[in-house]
Amino acid sequence: MKFKTSIIPITIFLVILYFLFSGLNKDPTIIPSPLIGKRIPSFESKTLIDNEIISNNDLIGNYILINVWGSWCYACTIEHENLIDIYKNEEITIYGLNYKDNREAALSWLKKRGNPYKKNIIDKDGSIGIDFGVYGAPETFLINKEGIIIYKHIGPIDRNFFKEVVLPYISK
Amino acid sequence: MITEFGNLFLSVAASLSLCSAALLFLKKYVDVDTRYDISLKLTNFNFLFLLFSFIILAYGFLTNDFSLKYVANNSNLNLDTIYKFSAVWGAHEGSILLWVLVLSAWAALIGKNSKSLPKDFVVDMLGIMGILSIFFIIFIIFTSNPFDRIFPVPPNGRDLNPLLQDPGLIIHPPLLYLGYVGTSVPFVFAVSVLLNSNIQIDWISWLRKWVIASWMFLTVGISLGSWWAYHELGWGGWWFWDPVENASFMPWLAITALLHSLIVSEKRGIFISWTILLSILTFSLSLLGTFLVRSGILVSVHAFANDPERGLYILLFLTFVVGISLLLYFQRSPKLASKKSYEISSKEFILLINNLFLTITTFAILLGTLYPLITSTLDLGKISVGAPYFNFIFSVLMLPIVFLMAPAIYSSWQKTDYSKLKKNLFSLFFYSILISYIFMNYLYDSNIFVVYLAMFLAFFTILSSIVKVIQIILIQKQDSFVKIISKTPSTIFANSFSHIGIGVLIIGITISTYYSTQKEIIMKEGSEIILQDVKVRFVGIENKISNNYSSQVGVFDAFKDNNYLISFFPEKRIYNIQKNVMTEAAISSSLLRDIYIALGDQFSSDSWVVRIYHKPFIQLIWYGAALMILGGIFGIFGREKLSKNT
Repeated sequence: MKFKTSIIPITIFLVILYFLFSGLNKDPTIIPSPLIGKRIPSFESKTLIDNEIISNNDLIGNYILINVWGSWCYACTIEHENLIDIYKNEEITIYGLNYKDNREAALSWLKKRGNPYKKNIIDKDGSIGIDFGVYGAPETFLINKEGIIIYKHIGPIDRNFFKEVVLPYISK
Repeated sequence: MITEFGNLFLSVAASLSLCSAALLFLKKYVDVDTRYDISLKLTNFNFLFLLFSFIILAYGFLTNDFSLKYVANNSNLNLDTIYKFSAVWGAHEGSILLWVLVLSAWAALIGKNSKSLPKDFVVDMLGIMGILSIFFIIFIIFTSNPFDRIFPVPPNGRDLNPLLQDPGLIIHPPLLYLGYVGTSVPFVFAVSVLLNSNIQIDWISWLRKWVIASWMFLTVGISLGSWWAYHELGWGGWWFWDPVENASFMPWLAITALLHSLIVSEKRGIFISWTILLSILTFSLSLLGTFLVRSGILVSVHAFANDPERGLYILLFLTFVVGISLLLYFQRSPKLASKKSYEISSKEFILLINNLFLTITTFAILLGTLYPLITSTLDLGKISVGAPYFNFIFSVLMLPIVFLMAPAIYSSWQKTDYSKLKKNLFSLFFYSILISYIFMNYLYDSNIFVVYLAMFLAFFTILSSIVKVIQIILIQKQDSFVKIISKTPSTIFANSFSHIGIGVLIIGITISTYYSTQKEIIMKEGSEIILQDVKVRFVGIENKISNNYSSQVGVFDAFKDNNYLISFFPEKRIYNIQKNVMTEAAISSSLLRDIYIALGDQFSSDSWVVRIYHKPFIQLIWYGAALMILGGIFGIFGREKLSKNT
């Protein structure tokens, strides 16, 4: 039989359908990071408040959370009180990755909403974010004592984030 | 009580649509005149009943009937009346009701304006419209019913999403839907052609105005959307390549391609099978857009309430509708292929290239939009494709399309006289380079090559369109201006205005992208900042209380050469019910530049974070869109026939 070009559209359509149907059962906010199980990428930057040098080595030794945020990010304001909650009530250090932000805006943002972060890593051009595979703020990474990324959450964390997600990992 | 009729009318409309669809299968049993009469009546009543049902929902909003769950979730006693009305389509259920209402309106319009088509063919088109309509009405009744009750009845509603409480958003969705759903007209046309395995050239002429109308409404809807984003999101941006934006942009690209291939089919009787395929593609992309927006399958800044079950329903519908039409296409389209050939020097060949690139662009954007889905399905990890990908691929693919606009205008059907083409284009080419050179050197003293290139293409397009209109007017040798205008075929104006619009749009996008300046600083009351040639003084903050929100209003005075220019009042609003903080940027627009001030967070008792942008020529983006829309209006309402000398 002669090849018919009119078969092309329906073939393309079937391929697209395959992806649409398979995407339907997935929650787009759960994003498996290729970095899970790997060490945190190396970086060197300044801290937001004290302007000190900070690198990946400073983050190793304890279970920590790294929260990616920016003063421009509306969803970050929503999750912020939950971070403050964790900061006040739980035994875990939170670092911030101040993502694609303006320093003064970030400082005033923290001043207004409270500062749950031990230190904030400045990532003005988003290059550290790229190494971390950041999809968009807010995102939260859980890092173990050896400096290995063991969990990543996309989007604002909710009230139960620590109890339901972080605690099971830590108490293992 | 009256709201019970909303549901009832929906069911009636579903049955009426079912009957129109049934007429597709009664060809052998009922004669064509009877079927035609019945079909028209069914279509009109379908529209009326959906309209009633829509009015009842609007009535529910205006009378604060919070026993309706949809009203309770999206309205509030203190909401302004105008927003109570626009809240009807402010969320999922009402949007889909609007969708199907618009669909039925297009169907009724087909019924009214299809005297030139064979009755049999019209019955088929309306029948397919009926099938589309049934699916959406059933979808509404079973998964997204805006007439669902809530008990106990809440004393007050949860308010409309504050993002949507904006004048631009009152008319944006209906207009966008008119365009979106309007793509169903070429679709049902195409499927009817395939069903009948028959097409006549004068049917294609009939279709052209419908395609222009739908194209025009899409243009209006998209430009209003970007206008809204520019004013409301507070970041000075107007296009974000968000999945939801792409969802409306892909059908626009496809229907733009369709518009051009349709002209070739009409003039030369070729590309017919391609035109049919593009018609199917355009509507498929509209459905896909609806699916992407409603299913929550992709992460989007447009935080619509999403639901996988609804997504599944739309996807099954899409599979059914698009699958069947593509199967029909596979089976029947070889019969439509024309034997006529065309030459490389002809207008039809240039339009073929235009179509090729527009289609590639559409698929490139589709690929980028679906990329996170593809990589996650294939376990490549989730990767989002951001603005850099879209900006790059889009500008590269647009280059040949825009460059070919001028040659397309000056070439002729079948075979172009090269010497004539050269004579016309050579001087235009030269003048465009000259103008872009002057423009760049006098205005910006800048030498970014990409900007030069874009300016050249823009002026090349604008000049060639203007000169063409002048040539056509001069050739007529009429004595009065009015006579000349009335004698000139309106297609010339349609063509020129739209292409000039594209040129103007390119200038706006390029200059505002490359030469904007922005400052994000902390300003104390009384402090000043200089941005380009303008000095802005932060006077202070005032508090304002409104019906359903309270706001802090910044007062800024702008000066030029120490003369007072204008005051700005950017706001930060806090909506009482949903506690959302909204930024209302203050913008002073003029042809040459926008000054855009947005109020950030409070820094200390008397100082604030302030974002100030100076955006040259950004208004040209919307002027360009307005010209394209004007072109569309000429195309719809103007006289049909092209004169011989074009």
